[in-house]
Amino acid sequence: MSAIPPREGGAAPGATELPRPVAAELQAFETTERERLGLPAGQRAQWVEAVHTAFTRSQRDTTTVLLAGLTEAHDHLLAAAVRRLGYRIEVLPTPDEEAFQQGKAYCDRAMCNPAYFTVGNLLRYLQRLRDEQGLSVAEINRRYLCVTAAGCGPCRFGLYINEYRKALREVGFEGFRVLLFNQTIDDQQMGEGGGLEVNAKFLIQVLRGLILADIVNLLKYRTRPYERVPGATDAAVTRSRAVLMEALEQGRGMIAALRQVRREFAAIPVDRTRVKPKVALLGEIWAETTEGDGNYRLPAFLEGEGAEVEVQPLTTWILTLLWEPRFDLARLARLWPRYGKAREEAPRRVWLKVMAARGVEQAIRITFYVSGWLAGLRDFRIPNIDRLAQQAHPYYDVEQRAGEMFLEVAKTMEYGDHATAHMVLSVKPFGCMPSSGVSDGVQSLLTERNPQTLFLPVETTGDGAVNVYSRVQMQLFKATDMARREAQQALTASGLTLAEVQSHLARYPKLGNALHRSPHRYACNAANLFHEIGRRLSL
Amino acid sequence: MGSAPPRAPHSLARVQKQTVGTGTAVPAARGDSLQIGIDVGSTTVKLVVVRPGTPQVLWQAYERHHAHQPERVLELLERAEAEVPGLAAPGTRVFVTGSGAHPLAEPLGARFVQEVNAVTLAVERLHPDVMSVAELGGQDAKIILFRWNQRTGERQAWTSMNDRCASGTGATIDKCLLKIGMPAEDVQRVHLSDRPMHHIAAKCGVFAEMDVVNLTKTGVPAEEILCSLGDAIVQQNLSVLARGNTLKPRVLLLGGPMFYFPFLQECWRRRIEETWHDRGIALPKGVAPERLIEVPDNALFYAAYGAVIYGERIAEEDAPYRGSAALRAFIQAGRQARFGSRAGPPLAADADELAAFRAAYTIPPFEPPRLAAGSTVRAALGVDGGSTSTKAVLMDEDGRILNKAYRLSKGNPIQDVKELLAELKAHVEEQDAALEVTAFGATGYAAGVLENALRADVNVVETVAHMQSAVNLFGEMDIICDVGGQDIKVLFLKNGELRSFRLSNQCSAGNGMLLQATAEQFGVGVSDYAEHAFQARLAPRFSYGCAVFLDSDRVNLQREGFGREELMAGLAMVLPKNIWQYIVQVPRIDGLGRRYVLQGGTQYNLAAVKAQVDYIRERVPDAQVHLHPHPGEAGAIGAAMEALRVVRQRGHSTFVGLEQAIAITYATRTDESTRCGFCTNRCPRTYITTRTPDGSEAIYISGFSCERGTVPDVEALKAFNREQRERARRLPNLAAEEARRVFASGFPVEPLPEPGAPVQGAAPPRGWLGRARLRKRRFVRSGAATQAARAEVRIGMPRVLDMWSTAPFWRAYFETLGVPARNLVFSRESGERMFADGAKYGAVDPCYPGKVAQAHIHDLLTHHHSPQRPLRYIYFPTMPSTLGAMGSDIGLSCPVVTGTPNVIKAAFTKEVDFFAARGIEYVDAAVNFGVPVLQRAHLHATWGPRLGITRDENEFAIEQGLRAQAACEAELQQRGREVLESIEREGRFGVLLLSRPYHLDSGLIHGVPETLQELGYPVITLRSIPRDPAWLERFFREDLAAGRITHPLDIRDVWPEAHTANSAHKVWGAKFAARHAHLAVVDLSSFKCGHDSPTYGLIDNILTTANVPYLALHDLDANRPTGTLRIRLRTFAHALRVREEQLAEHTRKERELAERLRRKREELLAGGRDDAPVGVPPLAALQPAGGQP
Repeated sequence: MSAIPPREGGAAPGATELPRPVAAELQAFETTERERLGLPAGQRAQWVEAVHTAFTRSQRDTTTVLLAGLTEAHDHLLAAAVRRLGYRIEVLPTPDEEAFQQGKAYCDRAMCNPAYFTVGNLLRYLQRLRDEQGLSVAEINRRYLCVTAAGCGPCRFGLYINEYRKALREVGFEGFRVLLFNQTIDDQQMGEGGGLEVNAKFLIQVLRGLILADIVNLLKYRTRPYERVPGATDAAVTRSRAVLMEALEQGRGMIAALRQVRREFAAIPVDRTRVKPKVALLGEIWAETTEGDGNYRLPAFLEGEGAEVEVQPLTTWILTLLWEPRFDLARLARLWPRYGKAREEAPRRVWLKVMAARGVEQAIRITFYVSGWLAGLRDFRIPNIDRLAQQAHPYYDVEQRAGEMFLEVAKTMEYGDHATAHMVLSVKPFGCMPSSGVSDGVQSLLTERNPQTLFLPVETTGDGAVNVYSRVQMQLFKATDMARREAQQALTASGLTLAEVQSHLARYPKLGNALHRSPHRYACNAANLFHEIGRRLSL
Repeated sequence: MGSAPPRAPHSLARVQKQTVGTGTAVPAARGDSLQIGIDVGSTTVKLVVVRPGTPQVLWQAYERHHAHQPERVLELLERAEAEVPGLAAPGTRVFVTGSGAHPLAEPLGARFVQEVNAVTLAVERLHPDVMSVAELGGQDAKIILFRWNQRTGERQAWTSMNDRCASGTGATIDKCLLKIGMPAEDVQRVHLSDRPMHHIAAKCGVFAEMDVVNLTKTGVPAEEILCSLGDAIVQQNLSVLARGNTLKPRVLLLGGPMFYFPFLQECWRRRIEETWHDRGIALPKGVAPERLIEVPDNALFYAAYGAVIYGERIAEEDAPYRGSAALRAFIQAGRQARFGSRAGPPLAADADELAAFRAAYTIPPFEPPRLAAGSTVRAALGVDGGSTSTKAVLMDEDGRILNKAYRLSKGNPIQDVKELLAELKAHVEEQDAALEVTAFGATGYAAGVLENALRADVNVVETVAHMQSAVNLFGEMDIICDVGGQDIKVLFLKNGELRSFRLSNQCSAGNGMLLQATAEQFGVGVSDYAEHAFQARLAPRFSYGCAVFLDSDRVNLQREGFGREELMAGLAMVLPKNIWQYIVQVPRIDGLGRRYVLQGGTQYNLAAVKAQVDYIRERVPDAQVHLHPHPGEAGAIGAAMEALRVVRQRGHSTFVGLEQAIAITYATRTDESTRCGFCTNRCPRTYITTRTPDGSEAIYISGFSCERGTVPDVEALKAFNREQRERARRLPNLAAEEARRVFASGFPVEPLPEPGAPVQGAAPPRGWLGRARLRKRRFVRSGAATQAARAEVRIGMPRVLDMWSTAPFWRAYFETLGVPARNLVFSRESGERMFADGAKYGAVDPCYPGKVAQAHIHDLLTHHHSPQRPLRYIYFPTMPSTLGAMGSDIGLSCPVVTGTPNVIKAAFTKEVDFFAARGIEYVDAAVNFGVPVLQRAHLHATWGPRLGITRDENEFAIEQGLRAQAACEAELQQRGREVLESIEREGRFGVLLLSRPYHLDSGLIHGVPETLQELGYPVITLRSIPRDPAWLERFFREDLAAGRITHPLDIRDVWPEAHTANSAHKVWGAKFAARHAHLAVVDLSSFKCGHDSPTYGLIDNILTTANVPYLALHDLDANRPTGTLRIRLRTFAHALRVREEQLAEHTRKERELAERLRRKREELLAGGRDDAPVGVPPLAALQPAGGQP
């Protein structure tokens, strides 16, 4: 129980000293008097929050760790990577509408909706274990635990753990363990008992899993809009995931697995002459990442409406999370000579830490690029976070550290400056403080200055998809127009007809391969292909 | 520049206006292939037939669809096919647009065009000189702005559409018209003129409705309410939908409401012209002023026409019209297949279940008892002036109900009551009896007016009236659930007394009304709702919550093909979810009790009752759920009972008498003479003057936003002020004191040290390798000229957000540097008028404290800056962490608080740089109070170059700032200590406001502290609770001893993950209240406050476990929900009074015990025994503080 029962009457600290029989008699007298007067003894009952995080090493073999919250690829590849270290991991399904309703019923009101989706998802899973598989609550609490992320600066996301506890208590799973995986690496709260060891090995595995999932997702969204046989991409994704999971679990054969992924995607027949607007999907990290009802299945909706979606890899987000402490440390170290010590460390040590952090960031980039290259991911750049911060700073002060920080603003600027997307769709939970409360306000200045950027912010409430779809269609219409004009321009400039393009592609099938990337000139990929063919023919 | 406009010889814009609902045909040559454009909106269907390649409209029609979109489209198509030759021929193409169009595209063979794009296409084609379009539809509002792209030379459209949380739409107007009770044809004759405007919150349809109800109840004329509503809607659209952009000329106004309501057009004109003036927009030459903002003749058909234009962009064979027969087939067969998974089981599984339910819950018709002819009936009268209806009961002195009367509100409550009384009187007289009213009790929204005009014996708060009625009828109950038209009240009882309660807030209100409105929309009487809902064989699942969202869900589900019966069943089933999950927020209700009473007008609807009974029984299988036999009149019954009690006690009634009441005359007046002149808000007030035949007159004043508005003239104000001062002496209001103290100047800053004075403390260590090289340093001062220049600098700062936590620092910081105190200017406290004037710039819609910042910047720009007294800087620092009470470990600020300075910069510089235009520099540079080194570096980087200060000066000023801040905090805590100790001494309750520092802005807190004072309670703020560990020790002794916390301010025992300053302070405040026997709590939060939401459950747990009386006022927003706030606070005060009696009793007993123990101890010690000593509680531990009341 979480409430402390009223204390029985007794000695308080600092009491005056009395002979024992006197004290005993006085005590008895008080008890009788209290009874007579109807006065309860002691202080009021007080609320104490019960926190359950005990997870010992010895429990590892008998405890299943539940994971969820990202895309299917991320969840499964992450699980496989961590299984390698000897953990029993199970992946929860992608949170959907039903999970949302469940979460909404048991969490605090006015929480942002990713809390409802993720908490509800766990509740539903546990209830199924109880009601369908017949496990007792005690057994579930003993055999399962859940790991969730925290962090994100001063935003509600960091407080979800509170909601998990509240909801679990309400539903009758008091005692179920939810461990925090804090995203700021130097402050882990992984529970007591050392069951979950967050060491370098663990972190490397986590990063590997996430990076590989990013690559699979990027390939999926690049290919699927152009596939000639519906479902071919999804089938390739399933097979690729299986190969990668096996390599991750066994800890070997990764290069071969990545090559297999490349073969899988290369084999998908595509029509890359389809003119499609490119939509960059940005926003709050969970809302932009999930593929379920949490963002109204927007990636699938956009594809259905004829767009190509560019999703944001988690790698960028991880690099931003690493950037934050590194930036702060470096800045303090620079201020040190002027203002005196800011930390209890020698400046040399601080600088070494900064350099080590940079090293880790570089290692992540290299892993991403090498793995991506092996898997056939061409022409994808992870942005330089320092540059993004610098670019956004005049609009969005880098001192603000909540949620996605300056990322949304900086990325929108990047898409505008480099003409790499026709439309930026920024999706965030209703009332998201850093995103809809601040970023969107700043973006309004950017869109005023760059009217060619089609920017659409959308808040998700968990329901009311029709209205959101309509607003997306409104903007997509213009994006489609832009793509068509680019394609027409590319054809006109190269003096080609579509038939000529098709016959060239028939002659050189490599150009029409799913993994082929034409040099960037337009946001529209078909326009780039037309331009490339035009140049080849003119040479 | 842009492409030349196409010629439009018979363009849509020039076609004569058609009569609504009548198609008009122009003969077309046989064999021509035609194009059909259909716009299926949320309330109407518009159809045009156009000859391809020309803008000529051959046929057009506009009809309301009453939620039968496909049927209405079919009807129009059949008519068009009959009237336009060749329409059904092959080659005709069809395009659909609008929120309801998507499902019809496939059966018709049509192409779907999103409606904003369709309108854009039509405007681009027809009006090449138009730069802005505002369109209001049933549930959508759209703004389209055209801009010239400098890079490409093209005219580009920027479009914006409301999300769901908005009210600037036709549906809101429709709903409000229902409340006002004005016929549609009269509405079309209302013009704006110079009517006084009243405050209506237009950010949400439900909020707007509630404000309209309040205005109606206080007798404001319908025309004034309508114009105020129009103005509020326009302002909402201009500030939120336009995302801070200006609607540049020429402007087109489109859509049904714009077309039909002249007052709405005039509101747009007035407000748009204002923005042109404010923002210095040059008007195009040679355009007649009336054409600058224009409603074209065919404002209704633009989307339908634009959809057709889209056809020019796609292949000619695309979108072939399949004929009306295809749509008919779809209506008959296709829709049923689409239900998918959104439906659940019906209200009753089978006829037996339904029959059993009816047998248990059908209310027998009320039969008034026969009266003996010639007798005189002595009875008490109870009147409940509710939000949508007025109810009256006659009760004899034994509590028997003699008769009751009910009517939907027609507007003025006095008129309603006059008619009800006449009806009751007539009924008695029909039986040859006479009626004598011996007591009169009023409750409900209109109780104030009735108390004043008819001199009611009591004005009972609704909740208490409902409770008394239920307790009287059913005896001991655990829960009373009252569902009225607008409000839902759930009361929790113990021993027949109010233990706690939950009331719908604005975001959860309007459920009963929605059921009623839905029935009306389907053409079903409210009384037949249940009959229809019980027929449904399945029920669609609605998402519970806001009534506006529910209504838009209804439209969508209807579009998917759910029938009337199913929708009605689904809506009834959502009611209990709204009550228990949204309002009460207790998902497991089994712990609340098992004896329930359902009452309130909505409970006449048996479908709603069944849904609630099933919901409760599913969770509490042994629950007893009673239905009040007079659900709608429960409040009136309670009021009559209370009146009887009071009159019995007092010996006489104050009621003016039945005859006088029926013959009362009244006049309402709202003009310049009634306007409140006691502050700059200048609230438009309404005086309702009533006169009874005996000549006595009473004036009731409404429409004010603060207590000063309750008095008519200066003399009365003086008396009022005297009374206020006296009250403040007895019942301190630390909220008002804190609001004054935080921004006051007067801290004696030390002068800057002389140049060359030795610098205190160690010099900064230098050297890359960490070797500290101590160096003696002398204080460096800036030059004399720079110092002199600083005396001329004026700095403006907004009185918002974290400035409330840091203002003493800023004052002292700048004063130390030589900026005179008089040159440090803070904007005024927030106010309705300030918000209305200055809230048109922002592009985002966060919490009100964040949103109001733009109005403060506007206030600084317009009110505090002039060429004679210019501001040099407006300083609004980005503060990621604050000078909070919980120390630097938990010092972070909320993202909106931190980021608003950047948002403001974007808003005030994007179209026009308002700062540069006035020669002001806007400074939003960051300062991080959480890391002292950063704080120093940030401030020097910001003010070093601007004020020419040296690093030493900067650091000295920071030190002074921090001292001033500490001095202010100490003063606040001293006052708090005095008040806390005095209420303990006197055995009284004080109310602790759990709020963020900036909620103390009088424009944000909506008079809550003053109302509490008025109800008899001193108000204590969070910052005024002493934080001295020694003083706090007695409250946290046990927690410290048990090792749950390491310091009295530690909150890890309840919230281990806390990291933001203000939320953590609130939670700590709750812990303190849980340990102080004399504190009740009012927990205040803003709508959309993301940092308070995780604390709702925590604070509830802390306070409920310790049995602290508390009231949650979440979702505070720009509008002042006067009515609901008062109900809440008065109910709270009622519960508190019961607790106060218990507290007094407890204190008495504790004192008696202490005294008896003292005597016993002396007696025992006098016996003189000499044994080993042990611990015994000292007397201090037995003091009431910390004990259990």
